[in-house]
Amino acid sequence: AAFGLYFPRKEYSENVYIDQPAGTPLLRIHALRDSHGEVAHFHLCQNLVISRARSHENHWFQIREKTGLLYLSKSLDREDFNMLSVGNWMSLSKVMLYVFLSSHPFQEKECDSATRSTVLLSLINATAPVCSSLTARQLCFTDMDLSFRIKENKPPGTFHQLQLPSVHHLCQNLSISYKLLAAEGMPFRYNVNTTGVSVTQRLDREERERYELIAKCTVREGFREMQVEVPFLVNVLDEDDSPPFLPNGTDTVDAVVEFNRKEGTVLATLTVYDADTTPIYPLKSSRKKYTGTIITDDPWISETFRVEHIFDEIHFSPNGSQVRGTRHEYKLVLNKSISVTDHRSFQLDVLVNDTEFHGPERSVMLHFNVSILPVSIQFPNTSYQFSVNRNAERFAQIGKICIENCMKFCGVNITYKLLSSNTSCYPVSILQGREDKYGSLYVNDSSALRRPECKEIQYTVQAIDEQSRKHTKTLLTIVLEGTLLKKEEDCPDSCAVSKHPVECEECGGLGVLTGRCQWRQGSGKGITTNYSTCTPSIKTCPDGICDVIESNDLAVCPQDCTSGNIIGGHGKGIGNLGIKSGHGICYCFPRENCYCEKDDIKEQLCDDVCKTVI
Amino acid sequence: LAGSPSAGGQDPHGWRAPVDCVRANELCAAEPSCSSRYRTLRQCLAGRDRNTMLANKECQAALEVLQESPLYDCRCKRGMKKELQCLQIYWSIHLGLTEGEEFYEASPYEPVTSRLSDIFRLASIFSGMDPAANSKSNHCLDAAKACNLNDNCKRLRSGYISTCSKEISATEHCSRRKCHKALRQFFDRVPSEYTYRLLFCSCRDQACAERRRQTIVPSCSYEDKEKPNCLELRNTCRTDHLCRSRLADFHTNCQASFQSLTSCPGDNYQACLGSYAGLIGFDMTPNYVDASTTSITISPWCSCKGSGNMEEECEKFLRDFTENPCLRNAIQAFGNGTDVNLSP
Repeated sequence: AAFGLYFPRKEYSENVYIDQPAGTPLLRIHALRDSHGEVAHFHLCQNLVISRARSHENHWFQIREKTGLLYLSKSLDREDFNMLSVGNWMSLSKVMLYVFLSSHPFQEKECDSATRSTVLLSLINATAPVCSSLTARQLCFTDMDLSFRIKENKPPGTFHQLQLPSVHHLCQNLSISYKLLAAEGMPFRYNVNTTGVSVTQRLDREERERYELIAKCTVREGFREMQVEVPFLVNVLDEDDSPPFLPNGTDTVDAVVEFNRKEGTVLATLTVYDADTTPIYPLKSSRKKYTGTIITDDPWISETFRVEHIFDEIHFSPNGSQVRGTRHEYKLVLNKSISVTDHRSFQLDVLVNDTEFHGPERSVMLHFNVSILPVSIQFPNTSYQFSVNRNAERFAQIGKICIENCMKFCGVNITYKLLSSNTSCYPVSILQGREDKYGSLYVNDSSALRRPECKEIQYTVQAIDEQSRKHTKTLLTIVLEGTLLKKEEDCPDSCAVSKHPVECEECGGLGVLTGRCQWRQGSGKGITTNYSTCTPSIKTCPDGICDVIESNDLAVCPQDCTSGNIIGGHGKGIGNLGIKSGHGICYCFPRENCYCEKDDIKEQLCDDVCKTVI
Repeated sequence: LAGSPSAGGQDPHGWRAPVDCVRANELCAAEPSCSSRYRTLRQCLAGRDRNTMLANKECQAALEVLQESPLYDCRCKRGMKKELQCLQIYWSIHLGLTEGEEFYEASPYEPVTSRLSDIFRLASIFSGMDPAANSKSNHCLDAAKACNLNDNCKRLRSGYISTCSKEISATEHCSRRKCHKALRQFFDRVPSEYTYRLLFCSCRDQACAERRRQTIVPSCSYEDKEKPNCLELRNTCRTDHLCRSRLADFHTNCQASFQSLTSCPGDNYQACLGSYAGLIGFDMTPNYVDASTTSITISPWCSCKGSGNMEEECEKFLRDFTENPCLRNAIQAFGNGTDVNLSP
């Protein structure tokens, strides 16, 4: 027997009054057995705990070792009462007693057994009330809920007495009778003679875990009759008596490693059910209780994979009533990033063990069919060709370079490079963000665009996998097109400065593709992500992301990249960068403030003089 | 406010009134026998449970001497100077003595003597009107307006709102730690005439109730990706002296009781609302679970899923928030501008 005897409830409570005579019974404590033949012995710890931190030697309370009846062995006079009330801040003073339980007679005062129950005694600053002043509720039940905990698979026994010993002693001329209202077939019985309630058979939590009954009390005083009903609850405590099982018998799953090769990637998940509950608090012990181990001799496998175990509560409905059970999930996870050249297939077995279940089927084997496929680093067959307008400015974004499936890659670091060609025209460069899977082509030298001898320029683009040094190349052709426009005078170098469509579209600025900024006309409704603004290219700015090209120079797209003040109605972007949403028109002076405001001044009605006055 | 009895004096019940633990620690340090016993006791308590400790003669002796010292009954004040230090001293003695696994712990804070009516009186001076007078108005909006008209309230409120709504990165929605800190400053430093009106305003329509729910910026300070188990959350809270104290204070002042008219201990609504507000900005931060106008349901961000054999205990813990007649009555009483009339 692992647990032995136990208390069907953790706490008991009762009131104690001044000058109640010695011998007054207070309350009755019960114990339930773990195995047949056990006999309960009750014992009090010889310390009263007062207001949590103080304690005092117990001179007043005793318990009958065999029956569990707690009684006053010495009357509490006012002096005792004042002493025990010290340090109690609330108007109500409480003292606490610990009751211990053992299957053999107590030899000496053992105060450290694990099986104990707490008795809370409220010290009432008055003499015991007369019976006629008590309400039916007070005569029948204490303040504490009638709620009990019974372990499953244990022998039946009596676990509560409805009659209150203190009231019975005090009000002997009153007739107080009880009844237990239970649905047909419930495994509980009420004994009219003793008012004891017992469980009549072994309970099985996996069949039903909560019983809700009603305790009914009738008080008769002469011709008057009063009735009180309170809920009477029994919770069935769980023990590990069910083996793990597989839903639909599924014990095998495919785990394919292809583009996603990053450490921490979940490759596949298998589920194991258990009808027992598994507490998530404390988490550590439950993890230990239910283990999942990779069975392998291969050091590479044990280094490269790990199994992650999570579990949560689910419900089973064995016969209409819901009971809690557990779903365990075992995830096969990459323990380190796998090189693009690795190529293997094997079966990986995971042994799941329900360590506290004592039966033959305590474990199940899970199988993961692992295939590690190599991935090739290559560009799509065709070579790249991009056209660039001769009027494009520095930081104009031309296009993206990407190897096959590049956006699917994870945990593979591909670096893109432009290898120089043998002309003197180098208008474009490539840049890559830290986590970017592609390279962005942009204008780096706008003067080269303008030179007539530069027409069609060829580059070689190289992509290298950092880990395996595997690389691939392709041809990139840049065709310059369009005729040079005359540059407007007095234009700012940033499109974002303009706050009207007209001035926006007649100027150029850093990042423009065709020599002119573009106006984005917003919806104009309140603070919106679709605010009106002037931008080098509507496709890339503002899109809420400060990309690697834009972050090169704040003048390109302050709408995405500013970290300065934004004046007017607005919402900030991720990491406090940029304007996520704005009111009306948003414009910026790079490296200074941005402004979002409604343009209320009609240009036709207001000339320059008028503007100055305003 | 009524003056509290002087340190070490006698209150009308003949009990010793509390000294704060920082002061008690100084008094003890000045007395060689007390300070040496205190050191002994702290060593005794370190890493041992009560019963092992009591078995040791030296520890027992230290405990008996200290029972007579002011350290034993010392308390702390909400928002006092050196509050954390005070609580550290309190728990250095009480942790070892109280098993640490008790369901309800006694509050280390001094009992609250002021009443809701004090707030109503002040609030009506501020607003120039009875809060219950105009039934059509949105009380939560009025509360926000009243806060904005007060420099201190406005500054600390916009402080926590901007901190709690600041996006850090695509994955991190906000800095919960900073948000909690800003919320604690708001509730500690702004008079309750303002903070309670924001937190406990009464509502007749959903927009108002939603505003009330949004008061503490729940998307940052309250909600999380996953709901932990309530017992686990309680455990996390109890590892932190401040959170543990505020939770104990909530349990002391809002624990539903059958022995009073209002279901609140000592019929003191003010004490319950104060200890509720004291939980905001900690792991156990409570909030309205929805914008319902008919029923008020409050809960910390946790559930009883996965409680195993401790489900009953977990539900009991959670019910002190979700189905607590004392807390509910106190919030409704504040919203209606009513307080229980008690003879002093």
